Amino acid sequence: MGIRKLGAIPVMAMLMAGGVAAHHSFTAEFDQNKPVKLTGKVTEMKFSNPHSWIYLDVDTNGKVVNWALETGSANALIRRGWKRTDLPPGTVLVVDGWQARNGSATANVSSVTFTDGKRLFAGSSNEAAPTK
Amino acid sequence: MFSCSVRVAVMCALCTAVGAAATLPRMADGKPNFQGIWQVRGKAANDLAAEKGVVEGGAIPYQAWASAKKQENFKNRKTADPLGKCYFPGVPRIMYMEYPFQIFQTSDKVAITFEWSQVYRLIYTNGKPPLHDVVETWMGDSRGHWDGDSLVVDVTGHNNKTWFDLAGDFHSEELKLSERYTMTDSDTIQYQVTFTDPKVFTKTWKMSVALVRQKNKARLLEYQCEAEAEEASGDFERDPRTWYPKPGAPPSPLGPPAVMPQVAPLAAVKPGTNLRRTADGKPDLTGYYQSNAGGANYGLEKHGRDAFTPATRGVVIDPADATLPYQPWARAERINREEPYRGYDDPTAHCFVAGVPRSMYVPSPFQLLQPDGYVVLLFERMSWRIIPLDGRAHLPDNVRLWQGDSVGRWEGDTLVVDSTNFNGKTWLNEVGDVLSHAEKVTERFTPLDGDKFNYRATVTDPIVYTRPWTIEIPMNRQNEELLEVACHEDNGDLQNLKNVRDEYRAQHKKEK
Repeated sequence: MGIRKLGAIPVMAMLMAGGVAAHHSFTAEFDQNKPVKLTGKVTEMKFSNPHSWIYLDVDTNGKVVNWALETGSANALIRRGWKRTDLPPGTVLVVDGWQARNGSATANVSSVTFTDGKRLFAGSSNEAAPTK
Repeated sequence: MFSCSVRVAVMCALCTAVGAAATLPRMADGKPNFQGIWQVRGKAANDLAAEKGVVEGGAIPYQAWASAKKQENFKNRKTADPLGKCYFPGVPRIMYMEYPFQIFQTSDKVAITFEWSQVYRLIYTNGKPPLHDVVETWMGDSRGHWDGDSLVVDVTGHNNKTWFDLAGDFHSEELKLSERYTMTDSDTIQYQVTFTDPKVFTKTWKMSVALVRQKNKARLLEYQCEAEAEEASGDFERDPRTWYPKPGAPPSPLGPPAVMPQVAPLAAVKPGTNLRRTADGKPDLTGYYQSNAGGANYGLEKHGRDAFTPATRGVVIDPADATLPYQPWARAERINREEPYRGYDDPTAHCFVAGVPRSMYVPSPFQLLQPDGYVVLLFERMSWRIIPLDGRAHLPDNVRLWQGDSVGRWEGDTLVVDSTNFNGKTWLNEVGDVLSHAEKVTERFTPLDGDKFNYRATVTDPIVYTRPWTIEIPMNRQNEELLEVACHEDNGDLQNLKNVRDEYRAQHKKEK
């Protein structure tokens, strides 16, 4: 339900691919030579600042791995009308991003779409970036 | 005779009460004026119920399960107290910890800035509901109103992670507070709190402490809880080239600082002609601002974008070639800081305060207040700058601060702020543009028409640069309210960054 509501908000489209850092260097933590595309089910949305995290169960050849995906700040989401409960566990998402340098199941998110192609927010959250 | 002395006695009693009310400092709007530096009297922060006269009735009315939980908290207090991790203390604990704080008051807001880790509270007294849904935070959402001469503040939106004292007294996320600030004389505020939490207590209960004006203090200094802890543990490492030297430290490896040439003054920015003004006729800059920083937090010089970094239009307006006039060692350091293993060294990756001018252009908003005699900046990433306008001298040279020591003045319609006494620990942005403890900054806030001001900062740092340089960034006023950023409390990145650094160091050692 929350998702349908979100999908209906057009400005949610958001910060374009090529998310930008907020309080620490993403270049230091993530590897732009390791792009990843993940499809999976939300296990948790951690609403926090300066970055929120989506935890996603991703099935890779029969083995389910829980990915930690870094996204925009909770405050930016709140200012766009988001609620903590708007991304319930079980929601299926497609996430593009860049994997951590150490190769762990951690990534920095550039875009999130629902299975119907509607975009969620994106971006590693430069709160100052224009939301056109 | 008898009736006469009774009359005198009654008159005297009234006389004392009326006298106190009559002599209280007051604002132009007639409200008691709480402005000043204050600190609790007594040791309530150790154990509320053990401190005589603090908890009404002497005991906190815990439910049975909660009483057991409090005992367990007490037993484990050395490791379980959230304050031990330098997490935000929450309300009311922050009000009676043994650190000073400063109250600023305007007609529609009260701000309280705390020496403890640059925490602040922004209390709206405009009678309006919050702009956004109140969510669980460490410091809660505060809305105030006046009840006669008392300021009454409702605090909601608490998380369930803070304690009330060192003894493990606690609450749930259902906590609601009503604070009451009443000046009993010009140097004392009686601070009363009513606690309601049906999940933890059997009934509503009250506490009261006295807050005392700190007449010997003209300024708040800084106690940076987490930064000091990480410096002590070695998790945040000293750089002898840029940090202010400890007493008796060997001389800087860089030799003496450069002699800075005089540079021609820049053409002044023209203030707007249709400005909002405060009661004293100065431009009214108050409001919530977001910088249009054009990626300054990722490089002050112009640069292109990559996967993680937005392009920067370049915000350097002097020198004319828009490049920072680095000394060779500092340019080399700046380039080295782009290496992934250096990401851990950026103080803001640790959630430490950003310094000046970086606080102004991190991608996060700030609130500007103009209480009597001051300009106060509250940054959403929980830090503050207090800028007195009384022409006072800067702090003694050996007092060094993350945010520096700022003194401001009006030059026509432009606010000019000089800042010194920096500690040299901050970076100018994520790519690591360099500053040292020799930094001095002159900032100019020039109001423009249409909810904007022009921000310029001229930085003089003879350890790092060959000449002064200036950046320019537009600031946009918006109809918004600050929210809480609990950066250190939620910092999921620092360990990853540390791992990258540690792997590099291990590898480097092997290669050697």
